[in-house]
This record gives sequence, C-alpha cells and structure tokens, in this order.
Amino acid sequence: MPSTDREVGVRIAVDRVLCTGHGVCARTLPGRIRLDEWGYPIVEAVAVDPVDADLAVKLCPARALYLR
Amino acid sequence: MTIVEELERAGLTGRGGAAFSTAIKVRAAHDNDADLVVNACDGEVGARKDAWVVEHHLAELVEGARLVTSGRRDRVTYAAHRGSRTADLLTRAGLEVLDVPARYVSSEETAILSLLHGGLAKPMTKRLPFVYGGRDSLGKRIAPTVVLNAETVWRVSQVRRNGPDWFRRFGTDTEPGPRLVSVGGAVAHPGIFEVGSGVPIRDLLDAAGGLEPRVPALLVGGLGGVLLTTDEAATTAWSGPGMAAYGGSMGAGVIEALDPTRCPLDVVTDLVTYGAGESAGQCGPCMFGLPAVAESWAELARDPNQQTLDRLQDRLGVIPGRGACHHPDGVTRFVGSALRVLMPHIHEHVAGPCPLGRSRHAVH
Repeated sequence: MPSTDREVGVRIAVDRVLCTGHGVCARTLPGRIRLDEWGYPIVEAVAVDPVDADLAVKLCPARALYLR
Repeated sequence: MTIVEELERAGLTGRGGAAFSTAIKVRAAHDNDADLVVNACDGEVGARKDAWVVEHHLAELVEGARLVTSGRRDRVTYAAHRGSRTADLLTRAGLEVLDVPARYVSSEETAILSLLHGGLAKPMTKRLPFVYGGRDSLGKRIAPTVVLNAETVWRVSQVRRNGPDWFRRFGTDTEPGPRLVSVGGAVAHPGIFEVGSGVPIRDLLDAAGGLEPRVPALLVGGLGGVLLTTDEAATTAWSGPGMAAYGGSMGAGVIEALDPTRCPLDVVTDLVTYGAGESAGQCGPCMFGLPAVAESWAELARDPNQQTLDRLQDRLGVIPGRGACHHPDGVTRFVGSALRVLMPHIHEHVAGPCPLGRSRHAVH
C-alpha cells in the first residue's frame, strides 16, 4: 500500500491503554485501519481526512482514538 | 559553562537503553521545573550495572542528581526494585526511595512515573514526554518529571568534575564516553565492565574470563535485545552501528551467554513465556499478542513445520509499535532474532530429537 502520509489529512493515533478492541474504527476508517487476529486496530495510514477522522474519534466506544 | 552546555559538548546519551540526548532531557527538566527520578532498577534481564553504580559511586550519583535538579535535593526520587539490595543501600543513605515492584515493565519510564504519582506501576500512553507534565489515559494529572537511568546520572557528575573533553576521550565521536556493560551467563567470571563504544565484543567476553565451551548463542540487551551467534559476537564491535547490523543496540548494556547444557530453543521458550507473562495487560496487541507469540514459538520448538513458522512470522510482523510502551516491540524483536540465529538448529529438530543431546526440559 502506498504511503498516504503526504496526502492532506490529520494524523490519527490509538491510545493503546484505552483501546479495548471494539473494532468500530475499522468500520469508520476502512482502508486506513484494519484489525489484527485479536480484534485490535492496526493503523495502516496515519494521515486521514479530517472529517472522517473526527467522526471516527467521536464513534470510538473506548474514546481511544485521538488526533496528533 | 552550565551543566546543559557541558552535557551537550560531552555528548552524553541515556545509558538505560534509549540512548537519547541527556542534554536535551536536562534542559527540558530545567525549563519545566521538573522533578527527577533516578532509575536504578536494572529492569532488563541480566542487567546489574545500576546496582553497581549505587554500591560503588553513590556520592557521585547524588551529586549528578543535584546537578540535574539545580541543587533541589527534595526534587529527587531514587527508583529501585522493592526488597533489592540497591533499595536498601539507597534508603540507608537517607535518600527518597520509590519501591518498584520487581516486574519487568514496572521499571519502564512511564510505569515509574505512574507509580510515583500514585498509580499502578504500569506504563502510560506517552502523548508527549512527561517532562512537560501531562495526563494518564484516564485524565489524571502527571506533574513534570524526568526519568534518568542511574548510570546516566553518575556520568552527569563525571562530566562536571572531569570536563567534556575527558568524557570524549572514551568511545567514538558519535557515541562518546565510558559505559558500563554487565557480562554474565555462561562465562568464567561474570561482572561489570567499563568500556567505550567500539571495543570488540570479544574483548568484553575475554574480560569476563571467556565463554564456557559450546555456548550456543549470546543474548545481547536482554528481553528487549537480540540473539547473536558466538561467531557474530566474536567479530562484532560493541557499538550502536555494530549491534544495528543485527537489529539490536547497546541497550542497557547487557551481554548474557546462553547455558550450553540446555537446548537453546527451550531457553528462548522460557524467555518469551516470561516476557508474555510480564505484559502489564493493558494493551491488546501485547496482552494477547505476546502469549500467542510464545505459543507459536513453543510449538515450533516441539514440532517444527512451515505453517507454525508462517503463523509466528505473521504475529511478529503485526505486534511492534502497538503498545503504550516498547515491551511488545522488544519481545518481538528478540524472538525475530532467535528465529534467525537458531533456524539451523530448528532444522535439526525437524529430523528428530535435539541433536545436541541436551535436556529439552531442564529444571531451572
């Protein structure tokens, strides 16, 4: 997958202590976040569209997603 | 010259493993009026050098802490494992001691900060360095605090007393200064040695009386380090670039020769199982991923096959960089290096029982 860091966007990160593996972020940010075999997010690209990022942050049930 | 300027000229870097510029940390500590924690836990597997510093250079250690906190002794806390001789020595010297549980990740920088500020000795997500102050994941305020390794703080006092030029007489231009290494395991005379970056690892092993016969591999950097074959160790320099060639670093300065009486696959099984059990249980990729890695490794040692190998490699590929601290990164790095170094031996296991004729289930 080509690096998307150069695209316009905000940088998204996961607070790993707060994350409990609901997996919602993989649905709100498909192609950006996928889940590992235990259900925890793998951030494939940190640069995310600001509107998508805001929604994903808002919808994370553990409030574990944040913008850098 | 201020101590920050002297440290800058000396080029001192942290001796606890991360090798970050001490001048930058101390400047940030001054700018933010930060408290200091001197980490004397020797938390890495095989590490003994911080205990050595406390035992032999306590006055200079205290002096180094004074320099970092601009003379405010009440701003300094010494972290040591609960019940250790180091904790005892520090307490008897009348110093403020933070009793750290003797668990692997408890002496990680942010775990010490959490404990210091009334929380559990578990790592915190570091959104910004805590020298600026910050909050844990639940929003609790963490006052500006800087954590420095005990050897590092001792070096600070040496830089002040002997000057940056003296410091730079040791090591290389890019990795200056004397540094301690704990050499242990299957060597004739385990001990703590002071060297500069760039010395051959072979010299360090000679200083420790040499390897016992038939040592299968060396563990450099403990559970967060890498395995080297004895041939690699014999031809590699003790330096950042030397170790980087094998995916490692000088880390917290630990070299351990593996027990020649045991199958090295079993030794690795024990280490990775220990590492998995030492997860603080906070971050999913660590608390579930490391036990899965341990299970895959044990399966590979028991019944080597391609499918198990593939699964192990997949797991090693996705775990790093996904914890609040670097514990999952360290353990996966270690297992990856063990795969590389011990692959010939794994192939020998395919043919049948351990060809070294070593006990596969030694009591330890």
